[in-house]
Amino acid sequence: MTATRVSSTGPTGRVAAVWQHRSIVRTLVVRDLRVRYARSWLGYLWTVLDPLLMSLIYFFVFTQIFHRSDVGHKPYFLFLVVGLLSWQFFTQSITDGATSLLADSKLVRSTSLPREVWVVRVVASKLVEYVYSLPVLVLFVAIYVARGDTHVNARIVLFPLGVALQIVMLVGFGLLLAPVTALVTDMQRVIRILLRMLFYATPVIYSPARVPKGFRVVIESNPMAGVLELQRAGLFKEPILWRSVVLGVAFSLVILGLGTWVFVRLERAVLKEI
Amino acid sequence: MTTVIHAEDVGIEFFTSRKRHMSIRELLFSRGATHTPGKFWAFRNVTFDVQQGEAVGIVGPNGTGKSTLLKIIAGVMLPDEGHVEVTQGVAPLIELTGGFKGELTARDNIFLTAGLHGLRREDVEERFDEIVDFAGPQVKRALDTPFRHFSSGMKVRLGFAVITTLDEPIILVDEVLAVGDRAFRNQCYARMEALLAEGRTLFLVSHSEKDLSRFCTRGLYLTGGRLVLDGPIKDTLECYAMDIERKA
Repeated sequence: MTATRVSSTGPTGRVAAVWQHRSIVRTLVVRDLRVRYARSWLGYLWTVLDPLLMSLIYFFVFTQIFHRSDVGHKPYFLFLVVGLLSWQFFTQSITDGATSLLADSKLVRSTSLPREVWVVRVVASKLVEYVYSLPVLVLFVAIYVARGDTHVNARIVLFPLGVALQIVMLVGFGLLLAPVTALVTDMQRVIRILLRMLFYATPVIYSPARVPKGFRVVIESNPMAGVLELQRAGLFKEPILWRSVVLGVAFSLVILGLGTWVFVRLERAVLKEI
Repeated sequence: MTTVIHAEDVGIEFFTSRKRHMSIRELLFSRGATHTPGKFWAFRNVTFDVQQGEAVGIVGPNGTGKSTLLKIIAGVMLPDEGHVEVTQGVAPLIELTGGFKGELTARDNIFLTAGLHGLRREDVEERFDEIVDFAGPQVKRALDTPFRHFSSGMKVRLGFAVITTLDEPIILVDEVLAVGDRAFRNQCYARMEALLAEGRTLFLVSHSEKDLSRFCTRGLYLTGGRLVLDGPIKDTLECYAMDIERKA
């Protein structure tokens, strides 16, 4: 931290400042993972167990009780696993990102790091967990390919782009929500409810093509829909809904811009409050 | 002589007691500092320069923003008006144990906290023994137990040991000398004196006249929201004492 510190810098200066401290972000991520695995020996299992069990439940509900195997792409279980792993990355980043300044307030108060670091660090930690969970996805893809139920196509190259889009969006949401949550106590509850509603407004457990025309605009303008389109494209033969992707990209960039602006405006007040 | 800290017209505003809720909308769209009821200025128009190697003590009654000023210099709070320029790295002895995680062992915590303050892994390895020796035999024995099992004294010792091994040329100290037993306090004094002898810049907030006159050459007297006096520590302490007598 020998860098010169001046009170206020422009947006580019702030990005550069976070980049300068990337090794510290790495330290924090390592610490997060250590804490997570020091507390429970099931540590790694938990990150994959939750989405897998949920996949199993939805699979059971839709195919065994409602007898509808056409809700999503086929094979439906694989469709669910892709969606729920990604959704877990999304919700956990949002809930932890929102409390990123509060949860480590002692650290925020005692180090002069650029405050954006705390948000980026949460998304980075969750990203690592998400990446750790991908072998499970690969395993299921291998099983379904071996059984001849699906084929991996060239659009698989879109998968990392989907993850990149998700990262941009999550950093944006984190920057937006972290200072607001630090100032307004009720925010955490509001976020919890909104996330639950958003889950059903996102094509995680159903295919966007199944949505009636009148509601399609809701789905398409949901940024996670675009992310899921990109992540699923290589594993299923259904066409990509490019409208969702374009809108998702636009939305993510707007969120990132808005988040940065709000973060800078509220930073002062937050530092006095925590 | 180089100026390492430059503060110009610094002021910071706080909410009075309960009425802390300014709406988010107001915070987002207000231009600069406005005077709204329910807010007060902790201090305003604080201007000073600190040269490299100076030892400065901040003096004043409770609630005049001494710690706040230190936090602004440390960069962990932002002023509402004016600006502060700090041209060298800062080692803040403010929330000493803030970076430590209770679940992790002391050993892990040393590496992580030092890393957070910008020290590379090799540097920490090199100084590891020094840090542990300074923290004392109790800490040394418990290196591999979770940090949450430490007594509060041990926690502070370790915190002090880690922060003071940082290479930062500016050291900010907020009342931390008041903790720990006598042996540890003497050790802290020795370490502080060594750091000063190396030409580091020191900023000290304390209510202990003894500490202030021992370490500092210059004093800033903060009271009633203003920087009243900036001069040799002896004069500042006298002025402060006279003010108290006058009020009594």
